This record gives sequence, structure tokens and C-alpha cells, in this order.
Amino acid sequence: MTERIMSHPVLGNLILKEKVTFTFDEQVFEGYEGESLAAALLAQGIRTLRLHEETGQPRGIYCNIGHCFECRVNVNGLEGERACLTPISDGMVVKSGQTLPTSVRDWRKNLEQ
Amino acid sequence: MQNKSMIVCRCEEVSYDELVESASKYKCSARELKLRTRAGMGYCGGRTCRTMVDNIAHLHHPRTSDEITLKHQAPIRPVRFANLGEVKS
Amino acid sequence: MNNKVIIIGAGPAGLSAAITLAEKNIAVLVIDEYLYAGGRLLGQLYEEKPGTWWNGIVESERLLERAKSLEVEFLLQTSVSDLEKVDQTWLIHTTKGIFRTRHLLLATGAAESPFPIPGWTLPGVMSVGAAQVMTNVHRVKPGKRGVIIGVNVLSSAIAMELQLAGVQVAAITLPHANLLTKGNSNPLEVMNSLLHVAHMAPSPLVKIGSKLMKNDFMKKLGINFYPKNGVKMWDIPIMLRKAVVEIVGKDEVEGVILATINTDGSIVKGSEKRIKADFVCIAGGLYPLAELASLAGCPFHYIEQLGGFIPLHNEQMETNLEGLYVAGNITGIEGAKVALAQGKVAALTISQRLNAGASQHDIKLAIQDVEKTRATAHIQFHPDILAGRQQMKQIWAESVVPLATH
Repeated sequence: MTERIMSHPVLGNLILKEKVTFTFDEQVFEGYEGESLAAALLAQGIRTLRLHEETGQPRGIYCNIGHCFECRVNVNGLEGERACLTPISDGMVVKSGQTLPTSVRDWRKNLEQ
Repeated sequence: MQNKSMIVCRCEEVSYDELVESASKYKCSARELKLRTRAGMGYCGGRTCRTMVDNIAHLHHPRTSDEITLKHQAPIRPVRFANLGEVKS
Repeated sequence: MNNKVIIIGAGPAGLSAAITLAEKNIAVLVIDEYLYAGGRLLGQLYEEKPGTWWNGIVESERLLERAKSLEVEFLLQTSVSDLEKVDQTWLIHTTKGIFRTRHLLLATGAAESPFPIPGWTLPGVMSVGAAQVMTNVHRVKPGKRGVIIGVNVLSSAIAMELQLAGVQVAAITLPHANLLTKGNSNPLEVMNSLLHVAHMAPSPLVKIGSKLMKNDFMKKLGINFYPKNGVKMWDIPIMLRKAVVEIVGKDEVEGVILATINTDGSIVKGSEKRIKADFVCIAGGLYPLAELASLAGCPFHYIEQLGGFIPLHNEQMETNLEGLYVAGNITGIEGAKVALAQGKVAALTISQRLNAGASQHDIKLAIQDVEKTRATAHIQFHPDILAGRQQMKQIWAESVVPLATH
């Protein structure tokens, strides 16, 4: 499990906000009100946030500041929310991204030969 | 070599080899390279790979200093239809 | 509403501009998509001189408090998707609706420019900035043991920050050469660029460096005899004669394949070894994030020293489009202190346009302050930053008919 940095030689002790619970793919997780979803999940050892829509390759945070959209998940029914920019709240329901039922990428194979 | 599986555009999973081969075959602009391979045309809008796609294209294509070879397109962040149509001032 | 100045980006440039404008009694709205104000200043943490730390969180809070006390309005967690001009007014399309202004400052900062490594899409691989934010802002360790690929000013500073937070950095090392790694994968070039930042740290690398390597011959000798297992800086091995060939792991990062490289960056056959890591950082540098300037219709110029494509602008931080201004890393990659100083210049220029009591002399002094800050900067991203700035000045002078001052 990845740890939280409770004390820091320069930044001091970590002041935690109210504890909240949320679910990620139906599993219950704890976090602290307002912290980023990506941070809350990583603190509990969760790195994989979605599978690539086409290839199913696992993906997690990359840029952590909203540029790359690699951490996009479904939050309370809304698709494409960036976990790195989403503050968690009590009762939040988060789902990872999955592969598409039908691939749309076959055209490339035809193009190659 | 593992470059076949070395991805440059993470959104569309376009590989390094695919880009380098297309660039050397067509000696095309960065924009054309993007259109040929879909690199930079995925969810993030090319924010992550644009410098790489641009650099690969310019291996075979002279760089002019006064053009932005990969243009930006609105919307620069995905927009929900639910959020459209309502104008607040 | 139209009299309000809008700033996009709540980083050092945006905050400093907001404060300067508000001090002139101009209403300001700052829009930013991040959770907190501060931009990438938030993650910064380094010792300026023994015992004195530059703490990005404290600095950001200080700026935010000052801005709020001057009634600057903030709209955080708000993404901008489009920008257009209708008549004299800029329309800013955001996730919280459309906002209008006649004077818009773009202070959108920079984005990281990666180089690809086989396996870099695995969960656990992140940009070096991502690890910095996770550690210093969210206070969550990016992992237990990491490898940083890419040896440069930013990555060595962040390696030190990780170490400080108790995160083990197994190595800072080079990427295996491909057409995109450029100078990043050549030991000699990396050594050269490190010597340039020699003043930065009490590092043994620097001791080898600055005295010994005054000429090319000595540099080559230095890199030839560079210890294969690296030189330690803050207890972190800096390995200039190793390169990561691949990042490995089944569903997440489990380690990297590290190989010994020759002075030209080529791999010594059979030297590949697998080392354990649960996270990997890619440090390929930064480029100005100027997508909104592009949508607005600014001309761009590629200036390598400034980090890539730069929207045309002058020293007063005006673009060639009326009512559109730029400040901070969107104008070129430099440190937060330069961004703060540039934000002030942009704000004074806007105040002057609004006849709100900023003289040409005030602006001149603020520009001089930018230059002074640049000259004394702790961290410099490109050794020829001045040449880059000069080039933009030249391009402006040649291409733009001075805006009519009314």
C-alpha cells in the first residue's frame, strides 16, 4: 500500500480533513473530504483507473494536473471525469473505464497490408 | 525491436515505428502525419504527444519558425452537451 | 461585467497579475481548472540558501490571501474549452458558463513534453511533475521506490523533493536513445547541461564537473570515467552511463530494464539488468501551453530556447490582438519568480489601457524587474533563455505595427 506522508521535514505535519467514504468499482474506499480522487485511490494502492477503450491496456494517472486525461473515470454517472481534478465527497460512486464492446479500430489492419 | 510496441500517442495508441515510418515515407508536415496516423487526435487533444509528433514530422520536413504546425482545435477540453445551450452572463 | 479583467490560470503569473490589478481598483476574475490556486508553484520546494526554503504551498497561500483581501474573484475547478472574439469582447466558454471581458490575460503555464519509453503507458509511470504534485501537494507517496528517467534541472530538483518526503529514488538515469530523446539520451550532452546548473546544488557531480571540465577533452574524459553506478547527489545515484531500455510489469510497473551505455548513448551489449521499482517518472522537459492563444488567432513562433511555439508578444506582455495579454510560462519556460514578475507587467499594461493609473514608467520598472529576476534566477531551464527572449523582441519589432494608444 502506498502511504500518506504524515510528517514532512519542511512541510510539517499533514492536516487531514473530514473522513469520507466512496466506492470505486463497487469497492468501498476511505478518503478525506475535498482531496483529489486520484490521490485518495493511490493512497490505498490503486493505480489502475481504466482500461484503454480499444486495447484494454491498463492506465492510471500520468500528468496529475488535468492535461492528459489518462485518469478519466465515471463519477456519479458522468463519464470522462479526470480523477486528478475531482475532489472526493461522501457517497461518491466511481467506476473505472472499460473497453468498448465493439472495436472501431479494424480499419488500421486493412490499411497496413 | 520493441519500438513497434513503443507508444507515442497514448490516447490512440499510435506507435513510434508507425509514426517514424509514415514520416519517412511521406516526408509530410506534422499536420499530415497526424491525419495519417491519428496521433494527437484522441481524447486529450494531443496535449501529451504533440511535441513528439511534431519532432518526428520534422525529421524529414523543414521547420519554419513562424507556423504552429499542429493547430489547436476548439473545444480544447471535452464539453458535455448537457452544458451547452445555456448562456450565463 | 465587461469592465472586469479576466485571467485564465491561477499560477504565479495569474495571481501576481490579479493582485496588481486589484491594487489599482480594477475588478478581476481568475479562472483555473485545478483544485487549488497556485498552479505549478504549489509543488515547488527547494532550499534557496541554507535554512531558507522556497515553499510553493506557503507562497501560493500568501498570494491567494492577498488577492482575496483585494476582492479578486476566483472560479476554480472550472475548465475553459473555447475562446472567441465578438466585436470588442472576448467570450470565454467554460464548464461554468460563458464569461465576457475586453481584457483577457492568458497565464496558462506549461505542459510536460515526454519522450516515449517502451512500457510507459503502464499504471505507475507518470510525468515527473505528477510525482511532485502527488508528494508535496496531496501528500501521497507516488510509490515506494522509483526510477526517474531524464536527467535535467527539473528532475533533479524533484528527485530531491521525493527523497525529502521519504520516497526512495533508486536512480535518476537516461532514456535509451531514439529519435525523440535527442540530447536527453547522450551522456556528454546531459553532462554539459548539468554543468550549466552547477551552482544549483551541493553535489559531488558538480565537484567533478566545474573544476575538471573546462574543456571538451576533459569533459569526454570525465564521461568516460564516469562511474558506471553513478555519482550520488543527496544520496540518489545519478547514472549518466546507464539508460532505461524498457519499463516492465504485467498490469502495473514492477521495474525497469537498465543497461550500461557508451559515451555516445549506445548500449553495451549484454549489460541489461532488471531493477525493481513500483513507480517511474518521465522527465522530458516543459513546453508552453498556449492552446487558447492559438484559438484566439495569435501568430506563433518556434523558439527553442523558450521551450517551443510561443505566441507573438511584446515586453509589455501584449499579444498583437487587442485586449489579449500573456504572462508566465506561456511566453517561455522559466521559473515561478519570473512568472510573478511578468504577471505584474501584464497587469500594469492592462491598467494603462484602462486608464487606471499605471504610467509607462511603472511598466518600464516592472520590465526591468523581470530582467533582474531572470538574471538572478535559482533555476534556469535553458542556458540561452536571453537569446530566446531577444528573438521574440526582434520578431515583434519587425512584424507588428505598434498598437494605437488611445
